Amino acid sequence: MTRTLLVLTIVIDLAVIGIWLALGAHLGWSMTQVPVKKIDPVTEIEFTEYDHRFVPGVDFLAAGLIGSGTLFTFGLIVSKFTAKPES
Amino acid sequence: MKLTRLIAITAIGLTAVHAEPLTFDFKDPMGVNNVVFKLDAPLESINGTASGVSGTVTIDPANPGEAKGKIVVATDSLTVPNPLMKEHLVGEKWLNAKAHPEITFEIKSISNIEKKDTKGEAKVTGTFTLNGVSKDITVDAKVTYLPGKLGDRTGGKLQGDLLVIRTEFKIKRSDYNIQPGQRLEKVSDEIALSLSIAGAAPKG
Repeated sequence: MTRTLLVLTIVIDLAVIGIWLALGAHLGWSMTQVPVKKIDPVTEIEFTEYDHRFVPGVDFLAAGLIGSGTLFTFGLIVSKFTAKPES
Repeated sequence: MKLTRLIAITAIGLTAVHAEPLTFDFKDPMGVNNVVFKLDAPLESINGTASGVSGTVTIDPANPGEAKGKIVVATDSLTVPNPLMKEHLVGEKWLNAKAHPEITFEIKSISNIEKKDTKGEAKVTGTFTLNGVSKDITVDAKVTYLPGKLGDRTGGKLQGDLLVIRTEFKIKRSDYNIQPGQRLEKVSDEIALSLSIAGAAPKG
């Protein structure tokens, strides 16, 4: 049980870190729309358009790692209380 | 003699046309007009934009000191990349977009005008209203008058002039009753605003 939980925790941690790295390793808050700067050719005004995509930030990373840690700890506690005493 | 009279009448007519103030509408169908706001915060600065710009400015390009008008920004058009942050920003505790749907700047007077061809700089004093609180502020503005350039933006569908206004200034959120003295460790009191807008005055 403990071994399974440990493996599951490591898999979740790796997945969270992998997603965070693959989607830009953004060190700020998560974004659901990414600002893209453009310039109007006639007025030369710089304006922002938003590209609708998810960029995970450090809150995503923290939530993922804390979540997997909590799952592992909770699983350990449950397994300890439900474990049959050795005869 | 007839030719001299014709030239004189034409000259008077042209002067009269140029002396007429033009009204520029800042509701831009191209969606280019925007206000950028920036606040310092611990993890990263909060950068956002507002695109719901409207309002009109009436100005005589030959005599810009007499300009009058009001620029309006829809409060719920404020956008930040994080959806939860946006919800808080326009929510009841911060800008309260439901109770105060507009952020406005109404021109009261213009001074220190420096004109060079179609560009100019001036100090614009007006009433800035945010979160239902109005205060008179003076900002440095850069203005560019683009005669006949509206057609370039509309693919020739509309002819007319454009007026581009740019300004940058700072305000304190505490001055506008936005959580004064609170959450300073999370969001700075000072907000930097940068406005870049183009208004159109169609002709014909």
